[in-house]
Amino acid sequence: MKVDRRTPVGRVLLEAALVAVVGAAFAFAANHVSPRGLALDRDYFPAETNDVVRVAVIAAPADSPAGTNPAAPSSLPPPAVPTTGKALQLIDGRQTVQLLHDSHLKPGAIVFIDARDEEHYLGGHVPGAYEFDPYHPEKYFPAVLPVCRAAEQIVVYCNGGDCDDSKTAAVLLQDMGIANQKIFIYGGGITEWSTNHQPVETGVRNSGNVNITIQ
Amino acid sequence: MTDHQISWKRVGVNLFTVLARWLLGAVFVYLGLTKALYPVEFLKLLREYGLTQDAWLLNALAAALPWFEIFCGLLLLAGVAVRGTALTLALMLASFTLLVWYRALLLQAAQNLPFCAVGFDCGCGAGKEFVCRKLSENLVLLALSVWLLRGRGRQFSLRFTLLKPPAP
Repeated sequence: MKVDRRTPVGRVLLEAALVAVVGAAFAFAANHVSPRGLALDRDYFPAETNDVVRVAVIAAPADSPAGTNPAAPSSLPPPAVPTTGKALQLIDGRQTVQLLHDSHLKPGAIVFIDARDEEHYLGGHVPGAYEFDPYHPEKYFPAVLPVCRAAEQIVVYCNGGDCDDSKTAAVLLQDMGIANQKIFIYGGGITEWSTNHQPVETGVRNSGNVNITIQ
Repeated sequence: MTDHQISWKRVGVNLFTVLARWLLGAVFVYLGLTKALYPVEFLKLLREYGLTQDAWLLNALAAALPWFEIFCGLLLLAGVAVRGTALTLALMLASFTLLVWYRALLLQAAQNLPFCAVGFDCGCGAGKEFVCRKLSENLVLLALSVWLLRGRGRQFSLRFTLLKPPAP
């Protein structure tokens, strides 16, 4: 379609096209130089194709005192979908509480990973949890990967509900060579955790500022 | 109507148009900044519309839209290429409004709620809002954009029109 520059309508259409082209160039350049800019070639949602299975029993870490990690309730249903090598393992609040208890008995064997951004993490997280924003993984890998490699069980959580960030974080950990068998997703997330009056630590990791509700 | 009345009416229209341009520009700069500062949050919200399965295209949309809005807002504030910018924004607003309306219909069906009781974060930059309020806001902004297309209120503009008519 040819736009006639001699008419007012034609000039407005050409001007709009010019604004669109220059604006798009400006927008991509600004995103490129912005420290918060998105990487266009990164798949930010790698967990989309992963199966999720509910875990009925979590094996206790080696050397864990007997009886500290009892089998999960028998009422838990069997896996709802066929498991694959990359299937994400879902646990509930009761299992997560038990794992936190066990983590105190054997430090380093059970690691909690908070897959939310820094602002939410500082506002309140599971005591001792490591911060790991899966949308800026390179910032957190140096601290998180060594402890995950050494750990026997890893619990990843985010806000809960519709939040997929814990699954995204779990897949990133898988991709970095962490064995899938030891990664568990706490589906209820921090929302269920704090609603159930479980301890929440505010500020940085091991700040010692532990409350039963988020401030 | 006397010449005096016509003159005052013209002044009023021009004043309203300049204020509308500044308001529209400021709104777009603000909404663009709220998204540009938290691009991952915007990306997640944009993904919920299911516009595309292509990761690169989704990333590109989420990366560019906030800054594009800021760019258009700055043009309006400065008074550069006003009618072309207004047309661009009108097309964007019309598209966004249709998308929000369609998504609200889906949520209404899923949640079995009255239409105006449907509330969600549409990714527009203002957080969670009830859909009727959001659609009303969009329609007001759309009306202002269309008003600017008339080409009135050229005061306080750096370069109202980029393209001059060709010499005869």
